[in-house]
Amino acid sequence: MLAIETRGLSRSFDGKPAVDGLDLRVPTGAFYGFLGPNGAGKSTTMRMLTGLLRPSRGEARVLGSDIERDASAVKTRIGVVPDGLALFERLSGAEMLRIHGQLYGLDRETAAGRAAELLDALELASEGGKLVQDFSHGMKKKLALGCALIHGPELLFLDEPFEGIDAVAVSGIRRMLQELVARRALTVFLTSHVLEVVERLVTHVGILHRGRLVAQGTLAEVRASGSLEETFIRMVGDERARAPGLSWLRGASP
Amino acid sequence: MKGGARAVIELRARLLWRRLTGRAGIGEGVARVTLLLVAVPVGLFFAVFLGLGTWQAVRAPGGLRTEVTAVAVYFGIWQTWTAVSLSLNEREGIDLRRFLVYPIPPWRVYALGLGSGLAADPVTLFWGVLLAGIFAGAAIARPGAWLLLLGALLVLFALATALYAALLEEFLALVLSSRRSREWAIVLSVAASVAILLYLAASATRPLQALAEALPALRIARWLAWPGACAAAAARHLYEREPARSLPWLGLLAAGAAGAGRLAFAIALGQARGAGAGAARAGGKGDARLPLPVGGRLGALVEKEWKYLLRHPLARIYAVLVPAVAALVGLGLEPRIPREARDVIRALPLFGLAAYAHVASQAFWLNSLGWERGGARLAYLAPVDGAEVLLAKNAVLYAYSLALFLASSLLVLVPGRPLPSWALPAALALHAGMAPYLYGAGNLVSILNPKAASFAVQRSATVPALSGLVGLGIVSTVGGLFSLPVLVALRLDSPWTLVGGWAALCAVGWIAYARVLSREGALLASRRDALLPAVCGDDA
Repeated sequence: MLAIETRGLSRSFDGKPAVDGLDLRVPTGAFYGFLGPNGAGKSTTMRMLTGLLRPSRGEARVLGSDIERDASAVKTRIGVVPDGLALFERLSGAEMLRIHGQLYGLDRETAAGRAAELLDALELASEGGKLVQDFSHGMKKKLALGCALIHGPELLFLDEPFEGIDAVAVSGIRRMLQELVARRALTVFLTSHVLEVVERLVTHVGILHRGRLVAQGTLAEVRASGSLEETFIRMVGDERARAPGLSWLRGASP
Repeated sequence: MKGGARAVIELRARLLWRRLTGRAGIGEGVARVTLLLVAVPVGLFFAVFLGLGTWQAVRAPGGLRTEVTAVAVYFGIWQTWTAVSLSLNEREGIDLRRFLVYPIPPWRVYALGLGSGLAADPVTLFWGVLLAGIFAGAAIARPGAWLLLLGALLVLFALATALYAALLEEFLALVLSSRRSREWAIVLSVAASVAILLYLAASATRPLQALAEALPALRIARWLAWPGACAAAAARHLYEREPARSLPWLGLLAAGAAGAGRLAFAIALGQARGAGAGAARAGGKGDARLPLPVGGRLGALVEKEWKYLLRHPLARIYAVLVPAVAALVGLGLEPRIPREARDVIRALPLFGLAAYAHVASQAFWLNSLGWERGGARLAYLAPVDGAEVLLAKNAVLYAYSLALFLASSLLVLVPGRPLPSWALPAALALHAGMAPYLYGAGNLVSILNPKAASFAVQRSATVPALSGLVGLGIVSTVGGLFSLPVLVALRLDSPWTLVGGWAALCAVGWIAYARVLSREGALLASRRDALLPAVCGDDA
C-alpha cells in the first residue's frame, strides 16, 4: 500500500521545469527522506503533493486519492509543515493551535485540549500566550509542527523541519516523530539538508537532482555500502565551481 | 553623495522598477500613471481656486479677509495632506531595521526613505501643483522680491507637513505597539468624548452657544496643527506687506520641521533597534475564546478574523477616527442645516456616516487576503471552502463597520435636533444595503489583485494602488445606486420611499451576494498559483 504515488509529476515556472516527470513511491508507514541540493525542486514537489501548487503535468495520489480531484478528502488526513510555514502571526500560540484544529474539523473543546497537550510536548507551554510574530524561528517551527499534528493525520509532510532549530530541539522533535511513526503507522515525508539527522531517522530515501528523481528506495538500498552523505554527493555531484579570484579576501586592503 | 547613500537610492529605484515591470506590477503601473494623469488636472483645478484666493488676499488691504484666506488655504492643505498621508497613500516605506547592519548613518537612510517615498508617490504632484497655484496667484497680484520669502514659506510648509505626517505615523505605531498605552489611549479618547457630550447635554437647550463659548479655549488646539498655523500666520504678514514680521513664523516653521523630523527619526530608530524586545501577549491564558453563534470551521474562521481585525492598528485608529468625524459632523454640520429643511435633507449627515463607515474600512475589503501573509497557505492546506473564508472576512468586517456606524450615529443624534422616526431605520438599511455590493466586489478585487500587507501603520502599503483605484470606482457606483432613492424621495416628498427603496436594494444585494459568494470561493481556490506568491512570497 502506497501513501504517496506520483506519475510523471511536473511543474514548470515560466517554461523552465522545476520538477520534471517525477515517479515517487512512498510506502505507508515509511519515514521517507526527500533529499536534494538547493533548487532541486523538493519544496515545489511538496507544494504539489499538499495542494498548494497545481502541477503542470502528471498526477499525484496521496493516501489513495487524487490530490487535485479529491482535495478536501486528502487534506483532512494529512498534516503539513510547509516551507515558510502557514501560521497566522497575529494569533497567540495557543489560539493558533486551537483554531488550526477547528479548521481541520475538531470541535472547540477537543482542539483546546489537544492544543494544551501539544504546547506541553513541544516545550512551548510558557509561551502559549505570546503572539506568533514574537516567536523565534525555532519556536515557530515547533508550533507549525504542533499545528500539523493536532488533528491526528495519517501522513505528515515536513519541509526542512530542522532548519534553524537548535540541537536540543532537533533531538526532541526527532524523538517525537520516531515515537509517532512507531506507535501508529504514521507516514512521514520530509525534506532536509541535515543528512546526519536524516540518516538516523528515515527508513526510505528519494534523491532529487535538477527536478528529476535520481535514486529511490530503502535507506540501505540507496546508500549501499557508504554513508548517505557520500552517496548523496556522488549522485548530485560536487558542482560548485572553485572561485577563480578572491585574492582580495586574503589581502588586508579592501 | 557618499557611496552608501547612492546604493540605497539605487536599491529603492531598482526595487520600484522591478515591481512595476514584474508580472503583478502592470496593474500598479497603470494605477500610478492613472493617478498621475488625474492628479495634474484635478490639482490644476484646485490650484486655480487657491491662486485666485491668494490673488485676492494679496491685493486686499489686510484684516479679516487676508487672515481668513490664509487660514483656510494653509489649514485646508495641511489637513487633507496629513489625512491622505495617514490613511490613503500607498507610500513606499523603508524598513530601517534592514539597514542597521550597513555602515550608513541611520538618519540618512531614514531621510532617503522619506524623500524617495514622497517622490515615488503620485499624490505628491497634486500637493506640488496646489502650492504652485498659491505662488502663481501671489506673483500675478504683486510681483517683487517678497516672493522669495513666499517661496521659502511654501517649501518649508511642504517639508513641515511631510515631516509632521511622518511623526504622526511613527507616534501612532509606537503607541499602538504597546498594549498598555493602547488601553490608555482608548480610555482617554472615550473619557474626552463623554466629557464633551456631558458638557453639551448640560446646556442642551443651547448646545451651539455652549460650543461658541468654548471656542476661545478650542483655539489653542489649532497649534496641534502647527505647520498650517505657522504658515497661515507667516503668509498673512507677507500678504499685508510686513515681511519682517513673517520671519519669526518662518523660523518657527523651520524649527518645527527639524524637530518633527528628528523626533520621528528617533522613534523609528528606537522601534527598529528594540523590535521584538517586548513580546506582546494575546490574553491572560493566551487563548481568549470568543463566544460565537456559529461553530465548526466557519466559527473558527470568524474567530480568527475577529481577533485579526481587532489587533490591527488601522482598525483601532478608525475606531477613534470615525466617531471623531461623526462628532465634528454632529457639532459642526448638522446645526447649520436650516430648521425649515425637509426631513430627508436633515437626515443626510446620518446617511453620510452610514456610507462613511464602509468607506473608512475599505482597506479591509479591498485587500482582505493581504493581511494573512504565511497564514494564507492554510486556505489551501486546510479542508476549508473558499466561500467560507470570504464569508468569515465579510461577516466580521460588517460587524466592525456596523459598530463604527452605531457609535458615530450616537454622536450625531445625541447633541443634534431630533430626527424623524424613519431616519435611523433608513440609515441602518443603507448601511446593511451597501455591504453586499461593496463586499461582493471587494472579494473579487482581493482575489484578483492581492498584495502582502503590513500590520504596521507606517510601513508599506495596505491596499495596492490599482485596487485603490478600482475601489474608488466601486464606492462611486454603489454610492450612485443608493442615491437614486434619495432623489425619488425628495421629488415625491415621501421619506418612506427612501426606506423602501434602500430596503429593496438591500434585499437584492444580499440575494446576489449569496449567489456570487460560492463562485468567488471557487475563484479563490483556483487562484492559488497567483495568490500565494503575492501574499506569502512563494515561488511563482
